[in-house]
Amino acid sequence: MLSHDELENLARLARLDLSEAELQALGSDIASILGYVAQVSAVEFDATKPTAPLVHNVMREDVVRGEHDQVAGTEVSIRASFPKEKNGYNVVRKIIQKDE
Amino acid sequence: MSNNLLSITEAVQKLEANEISSLDLVRACKAAVDEKNSTLNAYLEVFEDIEEQAKAADERRANGERGALLGVPLALKDNILVNGRRASAASKILENYVATYDSTVVKKLKEAGAIFMGRTNMDEFAMGGSTENSAFGVTRNPHDPTRVPGGSSGGSAAALASGMALGAFGTDTGGSIREPASFCGLVGLKPTYGAVSRFGIIALGSSLDQVGPFARSVADAELLFKVIRGQDPLDSTSITETTHPKVQETRRIGVPRALLKEGVDADVLARFEESLKKLEHLGYTIVDVEIPSAALALAIYYIIMPAEASTNLARFDGVRYGLSHKGENLFDDYAKTRGSGFGPEPRRRIMLGTYVLSAGYYDAYYGKATAARAQLTREMVAALSGCDAVVTPTAPCPATVIGEKSDPLSMYLMDIFTVTANLTGNPALSVPMGTVMREGTQLPVGIQFTAAHGNEAGLFAIGKTFEAA
Repeated sequence: MLSHDELENLARLARLDLSEAELQALGSDIASILGYVAQVSAVEFDATKPTAPLVHNVMREDVVRGEHDQVAGTEVSIRASFPKEKNGYNVVRKIIQKDE
Repeated sequence: MSNNLLSITEAVQKLEANEISSLDLVRACKAAVDEKNSTLNAYLEVFEDIEEQAKAADERRANGERGALLGVPLALKDNILVNGRRASAASKILENYVATYDSTVVKKLKEAGAIFMGRTNMDEFAMGGSTENSAFGVTRNPHDPTRVPGGSSGGSAAALASGMALGAFGTDTGGSIREPASFCGLVGLKPTYGAVSRFGIIALGSSLDQVGPFARSVADAELLFKVIRGQDPLDSTSITETTHPKVQETRRIGVPRALLKEGVDADVLARFEESLKKLEHLGYTIVDVEIPSAALALAIYYIIMPAEASTNLARFDGVRYGLSHKGENLFDDYAKTRGSGFGPEPRRRIMLGTYVLSAGYYDAYYGKATAARAQLTREMVAALSGCDAVVTPTAPCPATVIGEKSDPLSMYLMDIFTVTANLTGNPALSVPMGTVMREGTQLPVGIQFTAAHGNEAGLFAIGKTFEAA
């Protein structure tokens, strides 16, 4: 069972604002799920066999695309998705603060 | 037969012979929507321009154009992007998100002439096996509206099973096409990992996800798969038809008996044993296969999937698109947006994924799960070296009553037979194997065939023989 501090820390790492009641409920859900999946942690595997799934790198040459050859949408359509737009820019919170 | 209940193969023949128009098909599907969607909640949105799409397709046909799906109305799961249309993954955090480009799957379907009826309900971000986790209400099973259609692609399955489309697409991370196909009496395919491009698909577990079709027949599933498959420069995990070597047909079918000993509904098991008899009668030899790590598959899956889900869902932060709440500072902006935008199941899986990936626990969970997954893959490859397919029931039971599976772990256990193919990357096909009686209603159940990597053709061959017998 995860402690209250551990749960709060997880919620912070996950960037989730959770109510106290939900944090408690998630604590017991997670404990029961971890109890089930723990059977994997208990198994010993042959260390001589590869442990990664069968994956490989995929490389290709870079492709230069022009302004009107975008694959993920036009500038106008992407700008239209911004929560707050000003003069064609996405307005975001200032995150670099002056040193105290 | 009503036009909305035709198979795609039949519909294309009738269109070709000028017996029906695409507009007839679309209007028949729309009539089913008007009659049933308020009860079933299969579609979150039926597109306003379906008649225009149909008329354009009829015109193209009249001008001599042809396409594998020209004028055929299809349903799309709400996590498949169509340029200019909403795609919410059934989540509040993307409720008003409008896609700015076509997914590769949609691009290929458009080239084949398909008509998009609308976007279908799903478990939020494809997290679930019942479509009860949608932020926009549950979808009901057309065979019994008190029951779930399965999930997470439950809306697509319900739309097709109730005649609101002639074919449908879903995504499958741990059984999200095959399980609803089983519950709704349809054919459902999870292709080989990489066979279909995921460009423009809202990701859940990137080492597991595949897009695939729901269909009324194996031939239809094959037709839909052939339209969407293929390597895509925009998805580096996509493969070609020759990536995996061709396999020799053995006419043997493998049964992992050890997995069927407990936890499977007796009626489902009876249909399964009858299906094995049927396969024998069709000339297949039934052999026992051992896949020892398959007993661990669900535990492996519920480490790897939440880990990948929490990582993929980190991108939804309210900064560039989607729901955006403001707080005291940047951290609050993120936490408020995500805390209120994600529903309970995504919140649960993000927490779980964050835990298994956090320092100190990584080796015990994710590291072990990855090693176990590699072992499972080796065992599956070995099992399939001696047979054409491994078979199990698709799900351990028929469709459950809405609200019946209330604790998360009992819901996760529904995926016991389907997660293996996602972990190992093999293609798997669910085909109806009869019905079981529950409270006076016949409920469909499916049999799952898993074949060697790249051997969808083998699945279609067995599936066609099986469904015809």
